[in-house]
Amino acid sequence: MTLAQVFAAITPEQFIAYLQKRGTLSVTTVSFLVFFALVAVVNYALPRVLRPYYLLAVSIGYFCYEPSYRPLLWALLGLAGLSWLCGLVIGSVRSKPVRVLALLAAIAGSVGLLFYYKYWNMAADVVAGTPLSGVLPHRGSILAPMGLSYFALSSLSYPIDVFKRRCKVEKNPLHYALFVCYFPTLITGPIERYPHLRPQIKKSRRFSYTRCAGGAFRMLWGYTKKMVIADNLNLYITAVYQNAAVMGGPNLLAATLLFAVRLYMDFSGCCDIVLGASRILGYDLLENFQAPLEARTFSGIWRRWHISMSSWFRDYVYIPLGGSRCALWRKCLNTMIVFTVSGIWHGADWRYMMWGAACGVVSVLSILTAAPRRFIADRNPLYKMEWFKVLFQTACADVLFALVFVFFNCALLNVEPGVVFTGLTQGWHGIAPAWQEIARSLHACGLDGRLPVVLVFSIFVVFAVEHGGRNVARWIREQPWPLRWTLYYAASAAILFFAAFGQSAFIYQNY
Amino acid sequence: MSARTSTPLPAPPVKIQRGNAAPPRTQRPARRKKKINPFVHFLRGLARRIYFGVRISYKVLLLLPIPLFMVAFSFQVDRSGFYQGALAPRRIVDLMLDGKDVTNFEQMDERSVVQLYAQDVPETPEVIGIGSSRVLQFTRDIVGSQSFFNMGVTGADVRDAMTSYYKMVSYGKTPKVLLWSVDPWVFHGGENSLDARADANLYNEFLTKVLNIPTDYEEPISPEAWEALADPAYFQGNFDYYLKNRGNDTAVDADGNPIEFNAVTGNVYNQTASVKRSDGSILYAVTFRERSVDEVRNDAAIVCYTVDSIHMEEFDHLDTNRVLAFEAFIRYAQSQGTTVVLVLAPWHPYLYDFMLTEPEKHQGFFAVEPYVRQFCAENNIPLYGSYDPSLIEGLEEEDFFDGVHCKGSGFEKLFPGIKKILYSAETNTLPDPLALTPRTGQAAAE
Repeated sequence: MTLAQVFAAITPEQFIAYLQKRGTLSVTTVSFLVFFALVAVVNYALPRVLRPYYLLAVSIGYFCYEPSYRPLLWALLGLAGLSWLCGLVIGSVRSKPVRVLALLAAIAGSVGLLFYYKYWNMAADVVAGTPLSGVLPHRGSILAPMGLSYFALSSLSYPIDVFKRRCKVEKNPLHYALFVCYFPTLITGPIERYPHLRPQIKKSRRFSYTRCAGGAFRMLWGYTKKMVIADNLNLYITAVYQNAAVMGGPNLLAATLLFAVRLYMDFSGCCDIVLGASRILGYDLLENFQAPLEARTFSGIWRRWHISMSSWFRDYVYIPLGGSRCALWRKCLNTMIVFTVSGIWHGADWRYMMWGAACGVVSVLSILTAAPRRFIADRNPLYKMEWFKVLFQTACADVLFALVFVFFNCALLNVEPGVVFTGLTQGWHGIAPAWQEIARSLHACGLDGRLPVVLVFSIFVVFAVEHGGRNVARWIREQPWPLRWTLYYAASAAILFFAAFGQSAFIYQNY
Repeated sequence: MSARTSTPLPAPPVKIQRGNAAPPRTQRPARRKKKINPFVHFLRGLARRIYFGVRISYKVLLLLPIPLFMVAFSFQVDRSGFYQGALAPRRIVDLMLDGKDVTNFEQMDERSVVQLYAQDVPETPEVIGIGSSRVLQFTRDIVGSQSFFNMGVTGADVRDAMTSYYKMVSYGKTPKVLLWSVDPWVFHGGENSLDARADANLYNEFLTKVLNIPTDYEEPISPEAWEALADPAYFQGNFDYYLKNRGNDTAVDADGNPIEFNAVTGNVYNQTASVKRSDGSILYAVTFRERSVDEVRNDAAIVCYTVDSIHMEEFDHLDTNRVLAFEAFIRYAQSQGTTVVLVLAPWHPYLYDFMLTEPEKHQGFFAVEPYVRQFCAENNIPLYGSYDPSLIEGLEEEDFFDGVHCKGSGFEKLFPGIKKILYSAETNTLPDPLALTPRTGQAAAE
């Protein structure tokens, strides 16, 4: 059999069947790339005025691709319709009670949908055995619509913005529907705001080769981060956490620290893909990350991590609660509330809530200890070396951040956080044995040979390129072509040779 | 930092100024829009789209080497044997094509070896041999051609024999001469004549599509093996496999276990186990080859009572369909420009004599040779040898390994060499197949 014979035997039906084989348009599949390429080509072939409508149709098609989501389309379109209608009422009617009622209806719609699909069973478990259990019976397994957490918050922000007169009323329901349903944001966000996306929907951009090339590279960059770094690290982290009871401290500490890197590579990788894809389609979405692990404080990390979510909670929860312009105790309480709510937003699991609360506690402690820490820092002789100061503070912030994320990882892998925290303190017999233990575990889960070197090098390259929150899509276009093409080939080759295929989906796809 | 990002960070929402609070804007004089002919506008848009389409296609082409490399590498290494065949047979065939004899014959998947040989042999052999293990003593020296390959396989039934030739033809490597050692069970229509290892589907395909003999053949659903080529995970597996095997004398399989087929070292005639020669023939272990005449006769005596188990149980007549298939196959081979030479490999004298004592139990067996002789005489097909050892001049018990396998020395006595046969065929001086009449026990029975 020759190669030509193999390919000559391929029929179009076979190729289509191959694309449909997995029944999903998950971002890491070839099917998605083919789908996206076709969408992009048709998008630019159409007149600009038609593109938003076309993208709306594509987004609905994307949502309905998986048969299990088709019956849930009503939730997506219903919520979009409700929030648009409420926005229209709020913006058109002068009577305040009517506007308030419309706002409450919009909030009830979004929160109600979130509650029904994500928190019903948790609430049912809480009230089980009480008189309320008749009202909240346990419903078994409930499948939530794809991207529920993202489009629910997006559609919630619009009526509030209109109510607060921070946003004009949208008269065209289809334009607004595109804002809610836009398919790249259904995957892992970012949580968009209508004032940001509206001008882009109203006037579609002309094709720009530079934009598209930058977007394509950003997608490639995202795939590299996700498939080469995150998925390979995941092999080790999962192996350690799922055997946390028998693992020693060195492995648990290494896995805990690496989880922060893995989560960043996974989530920011997906955001790179989404933002790159959107860039190709002519839309600039909100940036979700700005080199968070370079921040020197815990709160600094949160200002640069999952920006669209944290800024959403800041604008629609924290500030309405009084923000930071109030008494200290109130500010601390507000901080606790915001982090706990954001923890609950991630999932109906007490460990997510604990994670949110832990973030809140650390933030509150950092607020309360700000003055003494500043006092000590001013008198610390080592801090006169700026590089040391930066390195030390960054390391402290990152370690703190990683430790807090133990709850998060435990929720993901269904592990008891207590087991991990207990294990972290055990099995320490010096640096050399610790290193050997880690090396053994790395080897056991397949991260042997060249792979650890490749991973360390890749992480270094990613952090170097993204230093200071640099926009990769724009940066690549500013490079001379030899470097540009070297990077194209290097990223592609890294995926080809070192990506861990068949790994889990994106972490934030679950929310 | 934020100035360098492409999209603005979500700043705190700004209140829209209403009423008179907002400063009045200085209005620029409205520009008159230049009217553009819609047709020109359309052409501009079209040209723009074509330009960018070409530009993007060109850039995509520049990235094409990566997937091409992936596909070509996976195809070449192919650790799972989707395209190049299983690793062990591939190793054997590679060694044979290098002109080396290969150890560990007993563990070989001979049919896969034949398949891969047909696929991979760079130059079509002039002569191929087909049949069961009874043909496997035909070597290049006996055949008299250095371009000979013995495609016989142990336990071959009619399907193995015919598909071996069909494989060569389908790969565009039709040999000039086909040497078929016809075993009696080729004409046995019962299930007992078949070997489970044979490729039944390929045989049915051959009968249906080539010989136009109806079977229950159904076009197999394409395995879509190409999907593996598009799978980067398969590429990674191939890459690991390649690195593991690179520069090693001992090949390993996909799981890292050594493949126990290696080139023969030392004197090939002194091996303690059977060896697959580079021409496809078999060189049995030295202990088997050097058994005494008595030992061999004992062996033949034992076989007397089990001879039917060699694909001949309930073989009491020539099956019409099998006869049709046999004749159609010969005609097909001739139509491909192949000269068919038939050989009837002799049976051990002790065994044959024993079978003559109970002809009613071996009616099918004894019917074969007369039919074959008649067919060859009518179609001018060269036929050599006989099942009846007494018809072969000079053949003795020393010329047998056991009851059913004749040694190379025995074949030398019945087979004059391919050049002489072709010359005889050209000059129309082939021996008359009907000149010899095998003992069939019929006279005694009557």
